[in-house]
Amino acid sequence: MKPESEKYNEVLNLLRKSKPVLDSTDDIEREVIKRISKVNSSGLRLSGVLDFLFSWVYIGWVRRTLIAASAALVLIFIYQQAIILKRIDAISRQTVVTDKENLFTHSDEIAKLLMVYRNSGKRFPSKTITISESQMNELLESVKELQIKYKDLENLIEGDPELKKLVHKKLIENNNNNLNL
Amino acid sequence: MIDLQLIEECRGGNFNNFRKLVELTSPFAYSVAFRMLGNEDQAKDVVQETMVTIWQKLKKIKTAEVYKTWIYRIVVNKCYDEMRKRKRNPESVADEQTWGLISNRISEGPSPALENDETARIISILTERLSTKQKAVFVLSDLEGMSNDEISEITGISKSAVKANLYHARKSISEKVEKYL
Repeated sequence: MKPESEKYNEVLNLLRKSKPVLDSTDDIEREVIKRISKVNSSGLRLSGVLDFLFSWVYIGWVRRTLIAASAALVLIFIYQQAIILKRIDAISRQTVVTDKENLFTHSDEIAKLLMVYRNSGKRFPSKTITISESQMNELLESVKELQIKYKDLENLIEGDPELKKLVHKKLIENNNNNLNL
Repeated sequence: MIDLQLIEECRGGNFNNFRKLVELTSPFAYSVAFRMLGNEDQAKDVVQETMVTIWQKLKKIKTAEVYKTWIYRIVVNKCYDEMRKRKRNPESVADEQTWGLISNRISEGPSPALENDETARIISILTERLSTKQKAVFVLSDLEGMSNDEISEITGISKSAVKANLYHARKSISEKVEKYL
């Protein structure tokens, strides 16, 4: 079916010919301007409140003072952080000596412990025995001596296969005896 | 004639220039609104709201060429809103009287244009069963004489959808005209 019939076209022509007439644009103009002014004035009112609350930030010396204060605060914060980091670092370097800790496991560790002992102002936790510096040095010397002797013994055993075999055998016997016990 | 200079001056917040813009824009905005809504007061409200929207969003306009399309788009969208509101409160149309009026006017031959209220009644009765999109497409195409491209741009629907909506609108109106005239 063709939608546009003759009658349809007649009705359409009648409507086309009758273009709606806006009697006067004055009313519309007036109403539109009134509404726009209302919108603008409410916007102005809001900006007035904001000005009242925050206009002081536009005063020159206040702005400069605020900038200086904020810069000072930032510097103080950075300084404080640096101090805190330094302290944390110092604390992490301090060795906490407990009863179960094996103090002398390696020669490097001995040196480290000695340094901590010296840096810590010769203070130890309350439950530990306090020793003098000379005693500590004596102890370290004897440990060093023992390590040298141990090294010599090791070299001696490595150089003589018979001795090595004998030591090996003795060690196994000792281990077995320990297990039996 | 609406040119970019006038739009630029309105952007600067000049009410006098905006009055001129309202004067130039209102007639064609009213024509579309009236033909879509079939009610003088509602059409005037739509024009007012359209002009307020224009004032608020005038910054978006880059060229005078797009201004008219933009206005039509705003008007059509405002009419959609109005029609949605009206769906909740449908108005009854005096069918017989209106069909009699159409019949008389057509039989009178080349007669003067219809009064606004007569046009409103006829449009209402012809388009009462159309969807909002069909109504918009029918008004823009058959009454305002726009091309499918323009309608597609204004309504935001595809060209094929414009054609389909126009076909259904014409068919529906044609069937009514055939039945009652």
